[in-house]
Amino acid sequence: MSHNQGDKSPQTHNKSRRDFLNKIGLLVGVGTATSLLGGNAISVAMAYTPQQDSTSKAGKLLSQAQLIQLKAICAQVIPKTETLGAAEVDVHGFIDNQLFHCHTTAEQQKVVTLLSNIDKESNAQYQHQFAALTATQQVELLTQIEMGGQSFKQQYRGDFKFLKSLICFGYYTSEVGASQELRYLAVPGGYKGSIPYKKSDADWGSMGLYY
Amino acid sequence: MQNEQMYIKESQEIYDAIVVGSGVAGGWAAKELCEKGQKTLMIERGRIVEHRKDYIGENKAPWQQEYRTRVDNLLLEQQYKIQQQCYAFKDATKHFFGNDRDLPYNTPKDKPFSWIRANQLGGKSLLWHRQSYRFSDYDFAANSLDGYGNDWPVRYQDIADWYSYVEKHAGISGNADNLPQLPNSDFLPPFEMNSPEKAIKAKLEALFPKRNLIMGRAAHLTKPTELHYSQGRVQCQARNECQAGCSFGAYFSTQSSTLPAAAKTGLLHIAPDSVVHSLIYDEQKNRVVGVRVIDNNDLSQREYFAKVVFLCASTLGSTQILLNSATKTQPKGLANSSGVLGHYLMDHNYNANAGGDVEGFEDEIDRGRRPTGILVPNFYYQPDAKRKFLRGYMLGGSAYRENWQSSQYQDGIGVDFKNKLKQAGKWKFGLYAMGEMLPRFENHVALHPTLKDKWGMPQLDIHCEYSENEKLMMEDAKEQMTVMLEAVGVTNISAKTSDKPPGLAIHEVGTARMGRDPKTSVLNSFNQSHNIPNLFVTDGASFCSTAPQNPSLSFMAFTARAVDYALKEQAAGRL
Repeated sequence: MSHNQGDKSPQTHNKSRRDFLNKIGLLVGVGTATSLLGGNAISVAMAYTPQQDSTSKAGKLLSQAQLIQLKAICAQVIPKTETLGAAEVDVHGFIDNQLFHCHTTAEQQKVVTLLSNIDKESNAQYQHQFAALTATQQVELLTQIEMGGQSFKQQYRGDFKFLKSLICFGYYTSEVGASQELRYLAVPGGYKGSIPYKKSDADWGSMGLYY
Repeated sequence: MQNEQMYIKESQEIYDAIVVGSGVAGGWAAKELCEKGQKTLMIERGRIVEHRKDYIGENKAPWQQEYRTRVDNLLLEQQYKIQQQCYAFKDATKHFFGNDRDLPYNTPKDKPFSWIRANQLGGKSLLWHRQSYRFSDYDFAANSLDGYGNDWPVRYQDIADWYSYVEKHAGISGNADNLPQLPNSDFLPPFEMNSPEKAIKAKLEALFPKRNLIMGRAAHLTKPTELHYSQGRVQCQARNECQAGCSFGAYFSTQSSTLPAAAKTGLLHIAPDSVVHSLIYDEQKNRVVGVRVIDNNDLSQREYFAKVVFLCASTLGSTQILLNSATKTQPKGLANSSGVLGHYLMDHNYNANAGGDVEGFEDEIDRGRRPTGILVPNFYYQPDAKRKFLRGYMLGGSAYRENWQSSQYQDGIGVDFKNKLKQAGKWKFGLYAMGEMLPRFENHVALHPTLKDKWGMPQLDIHCEYSENEKLMMEDAKEQMTVMLEAVGVTNISAKTSDKPPGLAIHEVGTARMGRDPKTSVLNSFNQSHNIPNLFVTDGASFCSTAPQNPSLSFMAFTARAVDYALKEQAAGRL
């Protein structure tokens, strides 16, 4: 698998803004360009920032135990490869925050119920809660739940697909997901209708989120 | 804009002209008036938005946004219940939409109308989708041929030069397709099509005579001219985050284009945070002499005066002001001797779409976010009694590769799943219909007899619904899209109609229509009130029909033409 062309320097965090500064700086001067962005600092500071320790206490919606369980699910759905995985970029903490602010109570309940059902099935099959299972057991159980097969209800499949979509959204809109796992073009510079693509190329992480 | 004295609050001065509104039409009116030597006061109900400085959502990656592009539930529920229905309502743009809590209006329960508002300097010119198409004589003649609405008092030859005039300044990208129903503009180069779009174009045009697939024409600087550079505008960077504001000035907005031109003359003044309540009318002279304003913030009252007034306050905004300017002798609203003020409200109808998979092209991808799509111009531009409905529609769309947002729904977890989502997915091709809406008397707005907003402005009652004609048209669009997609080899096609209320195309027009006959129209062919010579309405309120085309380019052309006419009339002593 090829490495992405994304910038991996310590300043990657500011990549989108740096690209913009470089381009707009040509137009209005770098000093002005920098001050233009100054006004945005406050709202950027408000963005959900991945935490190292979001499982150390209860979240806005989920209990500490549920966050630990969700972190384990995140780790299995989008694991660490050459790039960090969903658990490492705190998608579980993000989901707790996002569910609380941007989703309906029915959707919040769907996730809470699913987490409870996953533990129920885990206890029934392995006599342990999900977070205490081995990685192999976790994958086996999540796969069963997603397929809705065996003794599992079809409802589990729907609920799991929803949770998976939250995990994917959290991961692929994170800085790591959008700009390291995928390729993020903050300022493409123009539109090209066709460039070569091979399967080993990472997709754009900057498409489809706007209009 | 650099001029600190440009913004005013109190003034007893009699300006040469007042322009109410600062969107597409208001910006053009101000530019034209100023460039022709008129000391002009632009009145804006909302706050100042400075180019670049106030684009607070611009160029923020998703991870830099509080909820990764989405908006807090509570905020949506309390302040943006209607506005959030707009496709462009996002975290990065929400501050450019009106706050529904402060902007109440009424509709019958069974006839919703979604009124999208943009009350700040620049108005909806900041938020528009930038699609720019001329009307043709097929459009200007449509009402006269089937009897819906009144005949446009203009024909293409009356407006063609004005289209060219505004296009050179605004910058319109597109291809000279030489189509009778969609006249060429004075173009900057078009955006590129991607390979599947090119292939579908070739097949479609070979199989369906009169059906073309062209690149969407859009107000983006694909190749800026010296004029554009002199405005401080540069080439489009293909971010497609336009509605957050563009510091490159690469799309046309009041801020990027008309305001700097007007300000450069030194003749422009702007009264921000000034909600126009009504026009001040001198009965003896039969002239408007100014406007009454309520302060947006502290609700205090003040007045501004001018020799001529241009209403460019948006389709419903301008009409609301006229209705609220009723006097004892003009009890139905000012400039309303015809009684049609408020009537013949229209929007476009965007209620059908279709799409499917495109085989092949797996070894290529596009790069950048093109801020426009492809267009299938109206192929029903010639009336045909055999069709089940009147008028026609255009189709917009694009080909694109699926990404994680759709491939996330496949089964599986773990490394394999992650690696699949890392790859670009299948090519897809999708179309959506943009249908014309007939002008009907019963689709109208009126002032509510008692309810007012916080500025004391009577609330609008909006009665507007799509008729059977519009619904049949969407059924046809669904069928025709399916037929065309099948014919060009698109597979797994899904096509559907939807039930979105009017308003959401954000192309509301009509309610103060032009016409030759003062008995049946509010404005003459130059957007001038039949009743009051120094009163002009040049926004969408003046339209006699929607045509299938997006209206903004026509707002520009009609506005520039009306200013030219007004000053000639003034010079002749007739204003």
